[in-house]
Amino acid sequence: MADIAHPLPPRTVSRAPLYAVVGALIAVAALLQFADPARLPAAQNFVLVFSSLLIEAMPFILLGALVSAFIEVFVPARMFEKLALLPRPLQLPASAMAGMAFPVCECGSVPVARRLASKGLAPGAAVTFMLAAPILNPIVLASTWVAYRGRDIMWPMLLGRAGLGLLAAIAVGWVIGSRSKTEVLRARPADVEEHDHSHGGRRHAAFFGHLSGDFVFMGRYLVFGAAVAAALQTFVPQSVIGSVAGAPVVSLLAMMGLAFLLSLCSESDAFVAASFVQFGVGAQLAFLVFGPMVDTKLGFLYTATFSKGFFRTVVLTVAGVTLVGCLWIEVLIG
Amino acid sequence: MSWSARKVANVLTLGAWAGLFWFLMATDRTSYYLSSRTDWLVPVGAIVLSLATIGRLLSLRSPHRESLRRSDAWAVGLIVFPVVIVLALPPASLSSFAASRRSSFSSAGFTTSAEDLAEGELSLADVAGALRSQDAMEALVDRAGSDVTFTGFVTRDSATPADEFVLTRFLISCCVADALSVEARVVGAPPGAFENDEWVRVSGKFYPLGGEVIVDAADVTKVARPKRPYLNP
Repeated sequence: MADIAHPLPPRTVSRAPLYAVVGALIAVAALLQFADPARLPAAQNFVLVFSSLLIEAMPFILLGALVSAFIEVFVPARMFEKLALLPRPLQLPASAMAGMAFPVCECGSVPVARRLASKGLAPGAAVTFMLAAPILNPIVLASTWVAYRGRDIMWPMLLGRAGLGLLAAIAVGWVIGSRSKTEVLRARPADVEEHDHSHGGRRHAAFFGHLSGDFVFMGRYLVFGAAVAAALQTFVPQSVIGSVAGAPVVSLLAMMGLAFLLSLCSESDAFVAASFVQFGVGAQLAFLVFGPMVDTKLGFLYTATFSKGFFRTVVLTVAGVTLVGCLWIEVLIG
Repeated sequence: MSWSARKVANVLTLGAWAGLFWFLMATDRTSYYLSSRTDWLVPVGAIVLSLATIGRLLSLRSPHRESLRRSDAWAVGLIVFPVVIVLALPPASLSSFAASRRSSFSSAGFTTSAEDLAEGELSLADVAGALRSQDAMEALVDRAGSDVTFTGFVTRDSATPADEFVLTRFLISCCVADALSVEARVVGAPPGAFENDEWVRVSGKFYPLGGEVIVDAADVTKVARPKRPYLNP
């Protein structure tokens, strides 16, 4: 099945770039054999955070690519077209709640959402699913409960995170509204992998074609995102935001900014949020709602997957809902 | 039918990452990157990536010529680059540099129950985790003066007295990116004998004091970095 209209034409080249790339990798490997990163603590810290983010996130990208390939090859498009006919007030909450059945962190849900939209699900509903899944899945809710267990703010944090996450995801889906998939999804370069099936290729070949195509496509942006997140973790100490802990609105914005910079997995971010005891309930909640939907590595993945302006829409909508919701909860709880 | 250069590049990428995950398992290095909660990702990643590589290998031929674009060639390099880094560099763990830039465990959401502290051997995480709960703190005070043995690395700055240092260990929930530091102040150590980032085993009597845990050292011994350098919740 053709994916998105207007694929970019391929620029074919000689084999020279591939040789150059392989040569560069061998040179890097040889240089690192003689390097002693322990003498440069910042470099060592960067490499450790960078590689551990990728070792944790790549299997989730793979899982997302697996589900995406399965949907493309084995799930008939008419199923999603039927779902797309449901009224939007029903479609968006249903898509968000479907996220509860997809226990992966945010990286895995991006390729799945792209595939759902390209197969006929309303793009707003696909995006709602993508944003809700990393917050509403049972593993994330359980880890939030564990992180705040024994504290009197446990229930406000748990319910606030689930409720505001649901609201923010639906709000973004609502803003995207009735835009078509060609308006929401970014055209990929001519995706040869995806023609296997439509040209009568065997199903398994098509499945592995989509799986490897999605993995390689999303993987490169994840590497960029992990590099930026690791650099920020290395060079920006967490204590810099401590000075604004008492400021009502600024503290929330600071924690949202920190969540963006750190790019933590939604399954572990609650433990880090809970360590900012100098911040109030609202600010900690803002960290937990905003981070799984908008962070450095996701910025790269969204930009690669969706059309121009999508990332701005997500940032503004999620930030708005998070800010208003968290302020309201802070006022309510005190 | 001809070989598809694009598919060959995808096979290389998938194979490189599959190889990395097998390497992590074979060398028992997973604990340098992931916690015990998430280490299942490595075998799952190794198996699924290997299957994906084999699946793609079986369909390398294409009815039409498929060239590799320049951007695809560099994308392969970019995705394989982290694999090269992990394979080429010796294993390392977070150091005193990271301790100066991260939140500490004792302010996090981890607490130790009073029952756990009442008897048995005390770990560094148990003691630090008690600082946030009043019940646990009372149980800890009851055991003040008990003998403890903690392992961690040395962190100190220019203001630290010569016979003191902070014994530090990191606790990770998912991966190194979410590490929180666990700390105890060691007093009565041999002056000037230990440098930043040296791994040591400290035995002595512990005393909770305000928001700190003090260990009055009876013995401080240099040790090799543990196979599992991070604590897990």
